[in-house]
Amino acid sequence: MDPSEVEFLAEKEMVTIVPNFSLDKIYLIGGDLGPFNPGLPVDVPVWLALNLKQRQKCRIVPPEWMDVEKLEEIRDKERKEETFAHIPSPYYMELTKLLLNHASDNIPKADEIRTLVKDIWDTRVAKLRLSADSFITLQEAHAKLDNLTLMEINTTRTFLLDSLNYMYKLRTNMQPRSDAKSQDY
Amino acid sequence: MSDAFSEASDLSADDSQDVMTPAELIAKLEEAWLNEKFSPELLESKSEIVECVMEQLTHMEENLQRVRKGDVKASVHRMEIDRIRFVLSSYLRSRLQKIEKFFPHVLEKEKSRAVGDPSFLSPQEFAFAKEYLANTETYLKAVALKHMPPNLQTVDMLKAVPEPCLDSFVFLRVKERQENILVEPEMDEQREYVIDLEEGSQHLIRYRAIAPLVASGAVQLI
Repeated sequence: MDPSEVEFLAEKEMVTIVPNFSLDKIYLIGGDLGPFNPGLPVDVPVWLALNLKQRQKCRIVPPEWMDVEKLEEIRDKERKEETFAHIPSPYYMELTKLLLNHASDNIPKADEIRTLVKDIWDTRVAKLRLSADSFITLQEAHAKLDNLTLMEINTTRTFLLDSLNYMYKLRTNMQPRSDAKSQDY
Repeated sequence: MSDAFSEASDLSADDSQDVMTPAELIAKLEEAWLNEKFSPELLESKSEIVECVMEQLTHMEENLQRVRKGDVKASVHRMEIDRIRFVLSSYLRSRLQKIEKFFPHVLEKEKSRAVGDPSFLSPQEFAFAKEYLANTETYLKAVALKHMPPNLQTVDMLKAVPEPCLDSFVFLRVKERQENILVEPEMDEQREYVIDLEEGSQHLIRYRAIAPLVASGAVQLI
């Protein structure tokens, strides 16, 4: 899967905005939005929030977890625990990137948040590499991956799954074959 | 103007037995899209969902025609339509790619399906697969086979084209709790064991072990 497609999925998450225009309810296929009144916070999907922001029609309220203190807590917990810690948003990396790139003026301490999220990401991806390594060394047939986010899975998907497939093929070819089909060619 | 748009929300998926809101319909399409993207084999065709979504899109586009240019609401609707259309085409495209990759096996499966069972292919996909098979055969014949000695002039497509590898690993999220899933060992000296899949948990496992659960919708590939 392309990372941009993961980002596409992340854009469906809801975020609060404060519009500076007024508009009736919008009846989208995916559900109703609004009504929009100047100064009154309203929830919209990220894709719409970013579009309105680019047209300078709203201010984005950062999600609750996008806060230096909370992220520090998460980072410390992530470093302490051996397994993947619970993360407040399944799209934390994508949302941080999208919101900081397009609306950094609405997010206090944007640079600190960027660094913290990067730290959390690095810690988690390091854990992921370690566990992928032991998964392969122990030749496991099943792994539980709670709390892992889609973007994290996606960074390792092609490499891990392809290697597992090749190793499986090599191994089954070494063992005496019970069925000789598709060997004719 | 808002009346024209609100009609779309009232439109339920009347082709299927259970009534779905348009939002649920879009969610179903996205599930089908991800499942199709990640499963090694071609899944059952969700033509019903595709048709309903198409209906919704056409309906909404018709409404938009009546709106004057530069309307804020219309631009939001267009953006949503574009997003849905992207998912829809990506879904159909990944199915076509699989059909091209596994066409003899896809057609074989379609042939051996019992009467009354749901088809794995939509009528259009079936036509595409048949045509693809015919064209490949004609091509092989024209380029190489007719120059071969007579006893080597036939090719069994079922053997010539690799089968989908059901032993591939997949990532999945559990939507409905499942018990006693058999995990087969990687090596002979390991023992097989059973696991329970808790709702909301995520796993990495061979596709073969959970293929029926993907079909029934109890798990979602991610």
